[in-house]
Parts: sequence; C-alpha cells; structure tokens
Amino acid sequence: MTTTANTAAADQGRQDTTGPAVVVRDLRQHYGDFEAVKGVSFEIRPGELFALLGTNGAGKTTTIETMEGFRRPSSGSVRVFGLDPHGQPSGVRERTNAVLQGSGLLDDLSVDETIGLAHDLAANPRDTAELLDLVGLSDKGGVAVRQLSGGQKRRLDLALALVTRPEVLYLDEPTTGMDPEARHETWQIISGLKKHGVAILLTTHYLEEAERLADRLAIMHRGEVRVEGTLASVLAGWGDRVSFLLPEDVRTGDLPELPEAEIAVETRDQALWATYTAMGGDVADRAHRTVAALIAWAAERGITLQHLQVRGASLEDVFLRVADGAADLLTD
Amino acid sequence: MTTTAAAPERSRPTISRTKQVLRLTRTEFTLFVRYKTAWMFLFLPLFLAFVTLQLPNDEVIPGFGAAELAMIASMGTIGLILGVGHPSNVFTARRESLVLKRFRVSGVPQSVIFGAVIGVVVLFSLVIAALVVGLVFATSGGTLPRDPLMLVVAVILSGVMYSLMGLLVTPFVRNAEAAQMAAMVPMMILLFTGGGVIPLEFLPETARQVMTFVPSVPAGEMAQAAYTGYDAFGGFGSAEEKGYLGLWVSALPSLGVLLAWIAVLTLLVRRYFRWDPRQP
Ligand SMILES: Nc1ncnc2c1ncn2[C@@H]1O[C@H](COP(=O)(O)OP(=O)(O)OP(=O)(O)O)[C@@H](O)[C@H]1O
Ligand SMILES: [Mg+2]
Repeated sequence: MTTTANTAAADQGRQDTTGPAVVVRDLRQHYGDFEAVKGVSFEIRPGELFALLGTNGAGKTTTIETMEGFRRPSSGSVRVFGLDPHGQPSGVRERTNAVLQGSGLLDDLSVDETIGLAHDLAANPRDTAELLDLVGLSDKGGVAVRQLSGGQKRRLDLALALVTRPEVLYLDEPTTGMDPEARHETWQIISGLKKHGVAILLTTHYLEEAERLADRLAIMHRGEVRVEGTLASVLAGWGDRVSFLLPEDVRTGDLPELPEAEIAVETRDQALWATYTAMGGDVADRAHRTVAALIAWAAERGITLQHLQVRGASLEDVFLRVADGAADLLTD
Repeated sequence: MTTTAAAPERSRPTISRTKQVLRLTRTEFTLFVRYKTAWMFLFLPLFLAFVTLQLPNDEVIPGFGAAELAMIASMGTIGLILGVGHPSNVFTARRESLVLKRFRVSGVPQSVIFGAVIGVVVLFSLVIAALVVGLVFATSGGTLPRDPLMLVVAVILSGVMYSLMGLLVTPFVRNAEAAQMAAMVPMMILLFTGGGVIPLEFLPETARQVMTFVPSVPAGEMAQAAYTGYDAFGGFGSAEEKGYLGLWVSALPSLGVLLAWIAVLTLLVRRYFRWDPRQP
C-alpha cells in the first residue's frame, strides 16, 4: 500500500529530473560592511542531497535564508524551480519547506495541536499520525511543546518540515541535539526522501552525517567555498594514510622514499610513529601500493611493522585542514 | 497521473486562503486564551467603559446623556487596546523565537499570518463591544443600537486598523517587553485624542477638522451615530436625527478615513515588517 504511494511520488519526482531544482550562482550577501557570503555557487537536482558544511559563522545559514526568500542577494542569483525565491512567490512557497537552525515552535501548543495546525494549513498534507510515528513522537501527542526535550523538539521540527510534501527541503543542522538513535532514524528518513525525488540542502557539523547522505558537498569558511565535489572526489585529494610504530633500531632517515607518498614522523606515547600519505591519482590502488612497498621494505630488513594501520582520509581531515589553512589562504 | 506529463506545480493541490485564515484564527484564539497576559487587553476597554459611569450624565440628545455617549464612544477604543496591544506583543515574541519564520518556510502566506491575528482581535473586539452594548442598554433604560450594522462595521474596521498599527510596532523593537512599552505610545496618544478624553465639541472648528483624520476619532463617532441614530460626526452640538440611509451618508467621511488608514498601514506593514530576528 505504502509502496504504491511511494512509487507515485517517485514518478512525480522524476518528472522534474530535467534540470536542477535549485541553482545558486555567485551569491554574495552583505551585512553592512561585513560580507558574510562571498560568491557561492551550486546546484541541487531532484533526488540529490547537497551538504553545505563549514566553520561557525561561515555563512551557511545566511545562504539558506537567501534561498528561503528572506533576503535579497547583495549580488548573484538564486533560482528555485526557475523562480526568484525572494518574497516567496507561491510557485516556490508551496513546494519547499525547511528545518530551521532554531526551532520556531509555539510553546503553548501541544504536539498534536502543532502538527495538526501545520496539517490543516497545507494544501496536500501528509497524515499526522504517520509522521509522528516516523519521528518517534507518537506517545507525546498530548504533551505541551514547552515540555519537550531538545531532541524531541528537533524531531517535531522535522515532522513539520515534511507535512507539506516539499520537493525542495532545506535542513539547517536538523540532527543537532538528537541522540544517536534518533540521528540514525533521521538519516533513514532523509534517504527515503532522496529516493522520492526531493532535492535536499543539508548543513551539519556532524561530518559522518554528510559522509553518509551527501551526493555532493561543499566546505565553507568565512563566506567562501573552499572545497567542493562528491565525497569521493573531495577525499581523493587528501590521500590515504598508512602508519606504523617505528621499530627501535630504525632511524627516521632509514625510512624508504616511496613515489607519490609523503612521509611524516611524529611522537605518540613516547614512541615514534611513521605515517605515509599516499597521494596518487590511482585512488583505488594507492593504499595497496604503498602498503606493498612498505611490507617489501620491512621483509628486506627483517623487521615487522607494528600496529600497522591503513586509513582513508576522512571528511574530518579535510574539514580541519580547511579550518586551519584558512589563515594562510587569507594572508595571501 | 500515469498518462499526463503536466508540470508538477500545476498538478499540486491548492488550499484557499480563507480556509487558512480561519484555521489559523482558531489557533490564535487558543493561544490568546492560554496567554493570560492578553486578558488584560480585554479588561482594559471594559474598565474604560465603566469609568464613564462617573461622568455627569446631563442629557445631550433626547434619550442619551453625556456619560452614555462617552460610554458608546469608548467602543472605538476596544480595537485600539486589543489591536495595538496584542499583535505587537505576540508577533515580536514570535519573530524572536522564529515562529514566524517557521510559518513562512512552511509556505503559509503573509496575508494569512496577518489575517489570523487580525481575525482574533476583531473577534474579541466584537465580544467586548457586545458587553458594552449590554452596559449602555442597562444604564440608558433599555435603548438598543439604532443601526447595529454600522456599529459592527465600526468595531471591525477599527480592529483591523489598530491590529495593523500593532504589527507596525514590531520592526522597531527587539523583544516582547520592549514591544509592550512601545505600544503604549500610540495607545496613549490615540486614547487621549479619541474623544473619550477630549470632548471634541469644545475644540475650535479647525482643530476639530484635523481631529477627524486622527485614526481614533472616526470609530468612536461611528459608534455614537450607530447607537443614537444622530449624525454624531463632528460633535452633537448641531447633530440631527437621521434616517437609515442618511446616517450611512453622514458616516461616509469616517468610513473613508478608516479605510484610508487601513490601506496606508497595510502598505507600511508590507514594507517594514520583519520576519527574521537577524534581519538588519
Ligand atoms: N544581521 C546580521 N548583521 C551582521 N552580521 C550578521 C548578521 N547575520 C549574520 N551575520 C554574520 O554573518 C556570518 C554568517 O552567519 P551564518 O549564520 O550564516 O553562519 P553559519 O555558517 O550558519 O554558522 P553556524 O555553523 O554557527 O550556524 C556570521 O559571522 C554572523 O555573525
Ligand atoms: Mg547556521
């Protein structure tokens, strides 16, 4: 039963795959002299999730607020379904929804009254009982919103954003304050929406969330996009790490030079660790190539590589590098 | 669904704004009742109506004394107190707590959000006006309004006008407490100029003409005319009793002033209202 409804929704989503649902071109946003967003561009297609990551104050919420139609761009353009969202023309308003960074709930209403109101104001609402069940608030219907916990409010925010069956969804840190279980459930909900053709913009400080959900992502710092692409392409640029405990009789200078890999040696727990970062363009093979060369070197010298670890670059590595390196980028 | 390839925006169902306004007004009503502070705005106009009982009640026109006329005119202040007081307070609080933004991002049109709070102000204004009518009825020895429709129109229009004025207070203040303070300014000025406190008939002619453009004057005068059947516009000095149509004709300038204020305030609210706490 639900599957037929889902297929129908998916079909409807697919009709839109002709072009991106959201196009942002060279967006700039000033607050007086301060430029909060400095030339950001991206597109989101139906069924795609674009993650906008970045440091605090990078300009993510400002970008979303512009897409929601609350601000006119200082320059550049935003188009949602081909329309300028500023002032929220009905062609945009009725097809989008959002989870705001702050909740925006009426404390004096109960959970049922809150979702009931959103339901009755929508043109083609989803069933409220089903939604409360989806976000795990079924047993909280009669509770006043002011009595909900932080994570429960966040769940209600998500339910409210889904009532109107949006085709474009802006999620500004939707899982902040949720427990790990709720976060996993939210990820499932979001994956489901993607399958139904919803175009989603997600900002989050939980990088694992972006790793799991994002088709493409950008990392912003001080108003600029510093890194952009698919997860694989972003990570590829940052290399795979192979590290091991340096045997006592091996000196740093004895470590082999390997092609397309950088060596770094650091002290951890009063021991020396060597880390090779494999940077080659052969993304799929480079970790293997590096390990094979190191094993061959160790066999030759009759030593064992203790605590050998192979680790792909994580989004966190990239993020921290962006946040750090920003200082250098700004000075030049 | 399976055969057509119509543009999705056209295939989406729609909902009428009237239905949305009515639904949101219902919630505004619930919130008003639960928000005890708002009750003050109900008691205040009733209190002002009672205060007029203290005035000397010399007969001004047949059947109506000065105190009764003042009580009738006080119906013009119901909308003032409720409309300037309530929306300014709750809409500032809701802006700061992102409730307004939440409504907007979920696709509720601005006109619906404004319409609902205006709706609840008008609703309570009518209830209070009915109570004041009861009071006039009791004190004047059983006189009912001559033209109830005009009375209702006066109460509704002033409720709409003052609600817009209350909404216009919100962009200038940072929080709900400041909104309550700021709302006192227009409320006090308009209460003072509303004819309840300054008896208009003692003013010189030019001052009186200027006063007819002050938003608080026409509603009170319309209430008096509607209740007494006398052409109360511009004082009772030379007021005559009018027929049904004649009374509406004499009410036209006051109606015009109310509608003009509503139009101007609507434009100002559209232009200056802030939905977002961070908006500069
Ligand atoms: N009205 C305003 N006036 C001045 N500066 C503002 C205003 N609104 C936002 N800013 C500034 O713009 C910058 C971007 O803010 P924004 O909320 O977009 O950041 P963000 O990327 O969402 O950060 P976070 O991850 O902390 O939510 C910040 O430095 C903020 O202080
Ligand atoms: Mg933010």
